[in-house]
Amino acid sequence: MDTDFTADLTIMEEGTEFIKRVTSGGVLPMITSCSPGWIKYIEMYYPDLLAHLSTCKSPQQMFGALAKTFYAEKKGIDPANIYSVSIMPCTAKKFEAQRDELTDSGYQDVDVVLTTRELGRMLREIGVDWDSLPEENYDDPMGLSTGAAVIFGATGGVMEAAVRTVYEILTKQPLPDINLTPVRGMEGIKEATLKVGDLDVKVAVAHTLGNARKLLDKIRAGEADYHFIEIMCCPGGCIGGGGQPIPTNLDVRLKRIAGTYKADEELPLRKSHENPAITAIYEQFLGEPLGEKSHKLLHTFYVPRGVYSKPEGLPDKVPSDDHH
Amino acid sequence: MATVSLTIDNVKVEVEQGSTILEAAKQIGVNIPTLCYMKDINAIGACRICVVEVQGARALQAACVSPVAEGMVVKTNSAAVRASRKMTLELIQSNHPQECNTCQRNTNCELQALSEAMALGDIRFVRPAQSHSKDDIDNSSPSIVRDPRKCILCRRCVAVCEKVQGVKCISTMNRGFETVVAPPFNQSLNDVNCAMCGQCSLVCPTGAIVEVDDTGKVWRALDDANKHVVVQTAPAVRVAIAEEFGMEPGTLAQASWWQPSPPRL
Ligand code: SF4
Ligand code: SF4
Ligand code: SF4
Ligand code: FES
Repeated sequence: MDTDFTADLTIMEEGTEFIKRVTSGGVLPMITSCSPGWIKYIEMYYPDLLAHLSTCKSPQQMFGALAKTFYAEKKGIDPANIYSVSIMPCTAKKFEAQRDELTDSGYQDVDVVLTTRELGRMLREIGVDWDSLPEENYDDPMGLSTGAAVIFGATGGVMEAAVRTVYEILTKQPLPDINLTPVRGMEGIKEATLKVGDLDVKVAVAHTLGNARKLLDKIRAGEADYHFIEIMCCPGGCIGGGGQPIPTNLDVRLKRIAGTYKADEELPLRKSHENPAITAIYEQFLGEPLGEKSHKLLHTFYVPRGVYSKPEGLPDKVPSDDHH
Repeated sequence: MATVSLTIDNVKVEVEQGSTILEAAKQIGVNIPTLCYMKDINAIGACRICVVEVQGARALQAACVSPVAEGMVVKTNSAAVRASRKMTLELIQSNHPQECNTCQRNTNCELQALSEAMALGDIRFVRPAQSHSKDDIDNSSPSIVRDPRKCILCRRCVAVCEKVQGVKCISTMNRGFETVVAPPFNQSLNDVNCAMCGQCSLVCPTGAIVEVDDTGKVWRALDDANKHVVVQTAPAVRVAIAEEFGMEPGTLAQASWWQPSPPRL
């Protein structure tokens, strides 16, 4: 099955969370939470800003929680016997999967994480002949996804995917231009302002922790008037993740980004809310975005760590009233 | 733009003032080998693999940090240059475990590739007691493993951690053969401010920083008839996995995924 499915689901949850924060005076700017190196970084260096993070779990962890609940139920499998493997471009995902709180299915939601390099190693070990692999679709019920999910892999992609959905939910109009080009590309910090109904939504996108720091310092100083910020830990986003094939340099990153947007363009569906498998999981299992089941399985809290030890005066977890 | 003209391997070249010899050579298609150098991130002249002969200079110069000068005459492949590079490599290898066959970076290692390219036939001075032992391997982190035995002290990891990620959780400590790249006071990576991003493992030219290998766990689960193994693949994997099989970066790993079937729920 496909993490892209839960990337679409992330957009539904995170988009709805964003709309709720904007309309009900919640903490802004809201910052994306899918990159676990970034999460560990903000927990260590900016624990006072954790309330800015979306409470959405990463797509990997949403998938893990659903594999041992929704999928297990559907297939009639005892979740205790499900072994959940994820293939990630990322070494920090190994850390994320081990976090104590990411056990909402009643088990460790993701059992093991392999990087792209390790998957390559396993496939070579069994002598896979790359060119003669048959073409197959991802398995249902968590296999169908849209272009909005594919672009999660490139810096700016989560923002673009979110805009495609938030715009249409809020205005009930089709988005004039599906391509949000100002947030694409390798520039360290990218900004854009979009008219969504009567609201001018100001967004920013940063990749690398060095660039993240610049935005966080702005927030701390009260100088950030953004509504929504996407932060990815690695240069270029996940396509440049620490678990990707070696070499990963600027040239390679640009090619992977180009491949990502090409894939998005060629997909029949490019907006998360148009994914019929997403509609189905809400109908059959989750209820609605931010609903009770979503809250339990798809959202989480963060742990103020500090660089050496937890700074005084901060709660043990943020949001502190989270009943996970 | 002020320019400087110089001669590299008998070819005249005009380059922007302030360029390095390495950059100038690249302009005319002369590749100078490098190990510690990383464009825009690490130019510290540490490894001396990139040495070249500059007419009139007292010693060989590290091309990655030497700026060009008007009228400079450079040789990138003279006997002295080749001998020096080979000696540098041999000295690195003298304090390096010779275990390519079982190394995670086997066939994708810059040190190994350079040793092959330079036909390093013999390593004459293997240190009987190497600087670091297997006990020094840090596998405390769930994400990455540090093996100081394989570290060639190029400091590329230090540079990326500090300059790109702004984390600065690893740096060089001690002197001489005792030098090690590690977190402060040689603490375990898991106990310090490491974000686990693995960017250091991407830039390491050798197997000194690698991902934790969890493939054994997955094989065991696959072989266990009582386990139902569920696999998910992240968005960014599909544009990269093909590289593990020698394909162009950005190649999509799955064509039919452009025409998904209607969902069967
Ligand atoms: S780091 Fe490179 S040279 Fe050293 S053992 Fe591994 S493959 Fe061989
Ligand atoms: S994983 Fe990232 S934060 Fe940790 S040492 Fe490597 S580059 Fe630095
Ligand atoms: S660990 Fe790797 S990148 Fe870091 S100094 Fe050693 S060889 Fe260089
Ligand atoms: S590459 Fe120039 S000194 Fe290392």
